[in-house]
Formats: sequence, structure tokens, C-alpha cells
Amino acid sequence: MSASLAPECNEVKERYDTCFLKWYSEKYLRGNGKTDENECASMFKEYQKCLQVALKDRKIDKLLDEAREDSKDYDTIHLKRK
Amino acid sequence: MKVFSNSVTFNYSWEEVSIANWQKYGPWNDKSAHVIAVDTLNRSVDPETGILRTERLITCQQSAPKWLQSLLGSSDTSQVFETSYVNPAEKTVTMVSHNLTMSNLVKVQETVVYQPINGKQTQFVQDARITALCGGWQRIKNNIEDALVTRFRENAAKGKEGFECVLAMSRRAFAEEREREQSGQLMMA
Repeated sequence: MSASLAPECNEVKERYDTCFLKWYSEKYLRGNGKTDENECASMFKEYQKCLQVALKDRKIDKLLDEAREDSKDYDTIHLKRK
Repeated sequence: MKVFSNSVTFNYSWEEVSIANWQKYGPWNDKSAHVIAVDTLNRSVDPETGILRTERLITCQQSAPKWLQSLLGSSDTSQVFETSYVNPAEKTVTMVSHNLTMSNLVKVQETVVYQPINGKQTQFVQDARITALCGGWQRIKNNIEDALVTRFRENAAKGKEGFECVLAMSRRAFAEEREREQSGQLMMA
């Protein structure tokens, strides 16, 4: 797995990534992963708690908000929302 | 604006490719040293369509040519924001991304789609649009766009080679996993 931009988050990230890959290959692709509440949810929360601090410290959070704004059209197309 | 398009066929099933795609920038890929970090920012399954939507932040060692870096006064890392959509019903992975760094000067928008050709082969289609936004001479804008198209072309070749490695390693890892499970079941029996 790849590293986090914040070295202090590497450990929680690795745990989450491993969990996600297992869920993705064994459940999601087989049609058994239809909800967000899965075995990786608590690990994701922990990873985000660490990452969000790092993003704020590096002042990337504002850039990301703008990027999200610019990406809204993609959701309309690729999530097939009317 | 300049466009770079590229298409590659991988001799792996769509399922295998879509799994390996999440490991593309990991240690199995020795051709992606310029990618320093990949962080997941958001992930959700759309309850209506079952589409998995993921937001990632990709941190790269600056790959723009030195003359461009000094011209634009940029730092040594650059960041890309990527949104991806896995549609398991239609068997597509679509990834759209654009640059966060220097985005007031140049806009790089990339779309990548993975879809099955048949049960054993998957097609990768890449399309990048590069627009220099800085005011001023058209010639400088052209030079910036051309330099980035060249960089895309170079990285595309490396990207294919690196991803082939990840696919091979991923297939091997899954085969070993299956073997372990099977021998485990034999022991139980």
C-alpha cells in the first residue's frame, strides 16, 4: 500500500487500506457490499481524524474544498443522478 | 488547450484490474516513485446505483520540467485531486482528476476508464486535457502545454509497465490466498 502524506497517519492508513481491499475484493465486487457501514468504517474514521489535522496544518483543506466544488459536475454524470 | 489520449489492453479480467487499481501506487510498482503518497478523503456506496465513489489526494514529487518550475515558482511536491466511480453492474471504473497545485496557471484534467473487453481482457482509456491559463504570450502557453503533453506521454509508458507488475503480483497474492484457504479447509475436514 502507498504511504500517507502525513507520516504520523501511516499506521492507521495501512490498517484501513488492508481492510478496504479485502472488503472490495471479497464483498463489494461480489455484490455484498451495498452499505457504508462495514467492517472498515471505524478504521476509516480513525484515519480521517489523523489526516484532517495534517491537511489543515499544510493548508490543503481549502484547496480541496475548491476542488470538490469543481468536481460536482462529475457526480451528475458518473453517479447518473437526474 | 492540448489533448493527450492513450489506450492500453491488459490481459487480466476487469475484476482483477479494478482490485489492482487500488494498489497501483504501492510497493509493487517500481515505476511510480514520483507518487509519494495516496490518501483517501471520502468513500461511499451510492444506495440507489451501488456505485462506489472515492475521493483521493495524490501527492507527487514535482514532475514539471525545471524551467517550468522556476518560471511558475512552484514547490517540489504537487497534488492531484481524484474522484473515482466503480460501477459493478456495468463493470466500469472511471477516474477523473485535476491538479491542485499551480491550478491558477495551468489546468490538467484527466479521465481514465477501465472496462472489460471480454472475461479475460480489460481496456484502459486515458484522456488528458491541458490548458495553460497564464495571460501573456501564446508562445509561452504553447510551450507549457507541449511540455506537459510530453510528460504525459513519458509517464503513460511507465504507467503501463508499472501497472503490469502490480497486476502480476496481485494475481499471485490472490492465488496464494486461495491455496491457504483450501489447505485450511482440508485440515479442517
